[in-house]
Amino acid sequence: MRKLNNILVSILLLVTASLVVASNVNEDPLEREVLNIAEKLRCTVCQNQPVAESNSGLAKDMRNVIKEKLQQGKNEKEIMQYFVDRYGDYVLLAPPKSGNGVPLWILPPLLLLLAVIGAILVMKKRGEEKIITPPTPLSEADQERIRHARSAMDESGENE
Amino acid sequence: MMRQVWWVIIPALIILFGLLGYGLTTNPKHIPSPLIGKAFPALQGKDLNGNNVTLGVVQGKPMIVNVWASWCAACQSEHNVFLRGARRYGDSISLVAINYKDELVNAKRWLNRLGDPYQWSFHDLSGRAGIELGVYGVPETFFINKHGIIVAKISAPLTDKMFERGVTLMSAAE
Repeated sequence: MRKLNNILVSILLLVTASLVVASNVNEDPLEREVLNIAEKLRCTVCQNQPVAESNSGLAKDMRNVIKEKLQQGKNEKEIMQYFVDRYGDYVLLAPPKSGNGVPLWILPPLLLLLAVIGAILVMKKRGEEKIITPPTPLSEADQERIRHARSAMDESGENE
Repeated sequence: MMRQVWWVIIPALIILFGLLGYGLTTNPKHIPSPLIGKAFPALQGKDLNGNNVTLGVVQGKPMIVNVWASWCAACQSEHNVFLRGARRYGDSISLVAINYKDELVNAKRWLNRLGDPYQWSFHDLSGRAGIELGVYGVPETFFINKHGIIVAKISAPLTDKMFERGVTLMSAAE
């Protein structure tokens, strides 16, 4: 029994020790910063993958450049500009909000707005069309016939 | 009512297909270089023999910079263009190279085998000089006029025709 206890305790110790060790692992904040910037840059050889995720040689080199620049005290904006100056706006995964990139940002909401306005106009028009115009009022002769028929029905109804 | 709607939809469709057609026919791998019209940056490093070199325009001479690597098959196909170009223009143009992410041994062997048209090759083992120049693949070729301004950048294997065009552009921009 004692032996079993010892084994259990050592297992417990091992498990908790591994937890303590695991919680002590912390990431390099610089590495995180590098990835934050690399996520916004397009890997120029893989078309639609961010530099942060690509395994291509160029992406690795670009991550190294980002790291170096951060160590030199450059901020994110300066580093992004460094790449834009060399690879053009293409290197930005999100197109710039100025110059050539403006239509890309403005057009979708504008088209949506136009579509909504169009839809409202069309629906309004259709709504108006659907209203049933009241039938022309019956002539005096027709109303007389109805009255006549009703009174005839009432008389026969009394007998039922 | 329906007639009016078609007047909007048809032009919109024509514009849409026009844009789609344009998008499909252009090469997505071609990235226009923002460096054209800018000064070629001076880069310091070593050549394949370990000598210190500065990549930059010397003595007001137009310069062609070819980015190559021994592991790049397309570089072999354009190599003859540079051999012919070097013979043709001799000293009037400085033809230099950046040896991109390559082992020295392989690079030297490659030049021995195919012939060396370059005054020297800048050894860019890390690819840093490449990034400095916005290089995203090899081969790439820069044409720089005598004032040190980049007038053209080709991101493809060069042909004799492109070489001549580059030379014209370099001398045209005074």
